[in-house]
Amino acid sequence: MKVSLSAQHIVKRYSGVVALADGNLNVESGQVVALLGANGSGKSTLSKIITGVVAPNEGQLLLDGRPVTFASPQAAKKAGITAVYQELSLIPDMTVAENIWLAHEPLQFGVRINRREMRRRTDALLDLFSGAFHTLDADALVADLPPDEKQIVEILKAFSLKPRVMILDEATASLDSRQVDRLFNLIQQWKAENLAIVFVSHRMEEIFRVADRATVLRNGITVGDVAISETNERELVNLMIEASATPRRHERTVAADAPVRLSVRGLRTQALKGIDLEVRDGELLGIGGLQGQGQSELLLALFGAIPWTGEVTLSGEPVHFRHPRAAMEKDVAFVPGDRASEGLLYIRSILENLLLPSWQRYGIPLQLDRGRQDATRIADDLGLVRPSMDAPVSALSGGNAQKVVIGKWLLRNPKLLLLNDPTKGVDVGAKAEFYNLLNDLRQAGTAILFYSSDDVELLELCDRVLVLHDGKVSAELSGSDLNRANLVAASMGSGHMNHEPA
Amino acid sequence: MNLLRLQRYANRNSYLFALLLLVVVLAINYSLQPSLFELRVLNGNLRNWFPLMLLAAGQTIVIIGGGIDLSAGAMVSMVNALLVGSLLTAESTPDEVLLGALIACGAGMLVGAINGFCVAYLRLQPIVTTYATSFIYAGVALYVLPRPGGAIPADLARTYRSTPLDIPFVVYLIVLLILFWLALRATRFGQYLFATGGQPNAAYASGVPVNFVRFLTYVLSGLFAALAAIALTISVSTGNPRIGDKMTLDSIVAVVVGGTRLSGGQGGIIGTVMGIVILGTIRNIISFANVPTWSQTLVDALIIIAALTGPGLIRLIRRRFQ
Amino acid sequence: MIAQVRQRLSPPVIALLLAIALFFAGGLINPAFVNLTQAINIVRLAAFLGIIAAGQTLVIISGKEGIDLSVGAVVTLGAILVFRLSNGQNEALLYAIPIALAAGALIGALNGVGIVIIGIPPLVMTLGMAGVVQGTILVLTQGQLVGGTPPIMGQLISSPLIGPFPGVIFIWLAVGVAMWLLLERTRFGKHLFAVGVNRTTARLSGVRVPLVVIATYALSGLLAAFGGFILLGFTQTVFLNLGGPYLFPAIAAVVIGGTVLSGGKGSYWGTMSGALVLTLIDSLLRAMQLQEAYQLIILGFILVLLISIYGRQSDLRQ
Repeated sequence: MKVSLSAQHIVKRYSGVVALADGNLNVESGQVVALLGANGSGKSTLSKIITGVVAPNEGQLLLDGRPVTFASPQAAKKAGITAVYQELSLIPDMTVAENIWLAHEPLQFGVRINRREMRRRTDALLDLFSGAFHTLDADALVADLPPDEKQIVEILKAFSLKPRVMILDEATASLDSRQVDRLFNLIQQWKAENLAIVFVSHRMEEIFRVADRATVLRNGITVGDVAISETNERELVNLMIEASATPRRHERTVAADAPVRLSVRGLRTQALKGIDLEVRDGELLGIGGLQGQGQSELLLALFGAIPWTGEVTLSGEPVHFRHPRAAMEKDVAFVPGDRASEGLLYIRSILENLLLPSWQRYGIPLQLDRGRQDATRIADDLGLVRPSMDAPVSALSGGNAQKVVIGKWLLRNPKLLLLNDPTKGVDVGAKAEFYNLLNDLRQAGTAILFYSSDDVELLELCDRVLVLHDGKVSAELSGSDLNRANLVAASMGSGHMNHEPA
Repeated sequence: MNLLRLQRYANRNSYLFALLLLVVVLAINYSLQPSLFELRVLNGNLRNWFPLMLLAAGQTIVIIGGGIDLSAGAMVSMVNALLVGSLLTAESTPDEVLLGALIACGAGMLVGAINGFCVAYLRLQPIVTTYATSFIYAGVALYVLPRPGGAIPADLARTYRSTPLDIPFVVYLIVLLILFWLALRATRFGQYLFATGGQPNAAYASGVPVNFVRFLTYVLSGLFAALAAIALTISVSTGNPRIGDKMTLDSIVAVVVGGTRLSGGQGGIIGTVMGIVILGTIRNIISFANVPTWSQTLVDALIIIAALTGPGLIRLIRRRFQ
Repeated sequence: MIAQVRQRLSPPVIALLLAIALFFAGGLINPAFVNLTQAINIVRLAAFLGIIAAGQTLVIISGKEGIDLSVGAVVTLGAILVFRLSNGQNEALLYAIPIALAAGALIGALNGVGIVIIGIPPLVMTLGMAGVVQGTILVLTQGQLVGGTPPIMGQLISSPLIGPFPGVIFIWLAVGVAMWLLLERTRFGKHLFAVGVNRTTARLSGVRVPLVVIATYALSGLLAAFGGFILLGFTQTVFLNLGGPYLFPAIAAVVIGGTVLSGGKGSYWGTMSGALVLTLIDSLLRAMQLQEAYQLIILGFILVLLISIYGRQSDLRQ
């Protein structure tokens, strides 16, 4: 049964902020339409309106040519529109099967849940991804699953509703390449079954692999609707951002005699099985590999946030941080990737967020004037666009909120900067600004340890990359060895390296 | 069942610690009071505990759904006052008794609905709100029955005390309660309940009618409070507008001791039933162990704190040794 | 309209305006109500509630469903300790007061340890602790309340001190200023707000979360014991449930004053206004000489109404 979905001139306001000024999207059976846009472009809002999570202020939705309104996500699901989100819609203490079939469990006599049938159907769904997971099981608790497998459950959950239109909102963000391959195969199958698919993503490479058309949003307005075969990456990027924020070419030289800032021998945690590494002042060392191989743990351990064993030498002296406070006092800084839950105090002011690690500098009682001066200085340095320093951080856009997360650490002039996948979900413009900032820090002599789940980013920015696999360093790539093929191979744990001639 | 499934079962069915505690306290009680399991003693104990068990059952449902009901005891007082003060007398006919019971249940559901409306639809904070409404219901209780007194037909008390087939009547009621819970868990509403309490935003995005589920948990709490009041009224055969004052906190303690998590999304009435028996047995132990009068409250409180902190301590120790 | 009012004025200000409105509304019912003596009386009564609610304010700000249900029992304990240890002698206060405060702080610290280290929900932990404190009181006193209230307490606390104003009002003001300093002008206060908003962020920004939480509950216990001491200056005697009736009104005062129960935001000025509002409502109901039944019902309705204005939580759908 063919289907067509059209969103026309959608407007959405949130108490003073216009999230969408003129949102348009069209998709039909057998099509994959990519929805692109920077953070704050209205992309998420548009997808939430289509799936009934949020109500539009103006504009209309047409399903099969007829206008529809959705009072709730349930209404949209009944009409055949389902979404797979980045923010998970799973209940941690319930099993995979219970989660997938929540609110539409198979029933006996119309009342009693038919658990055996539920299990059978769940197993059938899991088969679609067979070989691409190791913990997943119909009776496994979702809380026990790693992030990529949770994402798989999300995808299967949406699919179990037998939708006619499926919105995949950053659905590949947590998946590894093997799982992405499997998903794309499924998408081809679904296209053949007359599903219409909207694919929201930041990853150009995937968009060009799987999409037929691309719709681009900028500042709440649909600025482009093109066929993928008739365009290229540069064109799409230009549609998405104001051309001003372009990344500079990066100089990639590190003085060989720069002092070693950090030296690690045999670091072990629950996930890590013995890591050795060295970072010099002014060096940007990348950490790569598939998700969940211990990269975050490495950074958290170095910051003293989780227990670890091994030997770590910082600025020449042996250290063993047992709490972030101890690390901070030795000029180590940690920028988390999940700024909402780890990096910011959303209801507190920008001023308070920036000064949070540094209050003891301002005496008793606190000399707020001095604090305000310091915070304003760093906010200006970073180009933080804000209503006022006393406004809550929740009033800032994603990119600016990220600046607050970094700003609070830059105030302390750290000598070692640990970055835990900081650009996940950050738009192209803000990413460019961030790369420039990292480069400035490098020039100034800061040692940087940078974990990213985005291979392209690692290749562009880093001098050297350590690839982690299964809790150990599977490869150290630098110079001409630092290329995509080797990165992927090392991520898989493969020993094959392509040594290209210098 | 392989080891992994056993471990998962243990994690999900949080009342296993309560079971352990139950065995321990029963053993201690038995050593101090060898007549513990005799029919007469058993019947007496269970009859005493059953009203609180019903109240705590309703509280369990609210807590699993992510809320809490601090008006539970006040609701019992109100329904008890209604029953004795205006619905029934010592001469009431069986028809009148039935009607009275139905009206009582209706009243309970009504006040539960008020609570539910405030928490689920007005989105008021449960702790402070149900505390505020408890004043209203306590006031109604005082209005209907200004002084303790009143009576109900003697037959009711006799039936309650009886032992058909040599098993206390109350035991049949407890079994009914447990069956009710198992039936609830086998329905979609049971899933809705756990989802709403465990992760309301995710539940909403999955199509669970979260607000309605929350509302319903408070209505059920009110219904169970009414049932508790009926049982209590039959048990003591009189009325007292302050009869429920202490029951609220006891109901919460029983739920927590029984293994249900206060944050919601996990637990069950079976654990709560055990929690009530544990609490009651502890109080028996205190009186049989000849603890000096002035020290009884402290001993009771220390044991309760131990029971409350037990699951947490065990989790802490397990984490340290992993 | 309610939303507009909320946006324009901060909750403490709204509560204060409400308190003033109630005071004059009382005059409509009973003209003898509105005079300086009565006003001083109201503020005096509110002061006890306000001081007892100070610790509760801190605990609720600390987040994660923070609440201290042991306050009532600790108030009683504080009063009994001062009563017994001083035995009516002014000089004995020099050691009686510190001991009472230390006992309160210890109980609070135990609460904090149970909550943040063992992981017991605050509602449950403090509820259990309240029972332990009450039990301890019974063991210590063996049911007999011997001791005496040093005369200086009555002079400094409940009798007029400067003009017609009793000392407790100045003490309350001092507590207000101290709380403001603590929350807005110390590192501890900033860390406390951070802990209340997001413990992970706080930890990853160098805040020692367990210490902050334990200190907060310890302060709550200390302030409750202090409240008991102050209350003793008013009642001049002790009884077993001295502090009980103040427990939930203290929580209500904090909520009415605009401190959110989810933590991370709030102020003591709001609690002070909330205490005034509650005391006024209580006095008005008494002045109307209604049956207890009606008083309870009306009180409940008013509380629900106030909570509807302040205590609403976020919607699932916008």
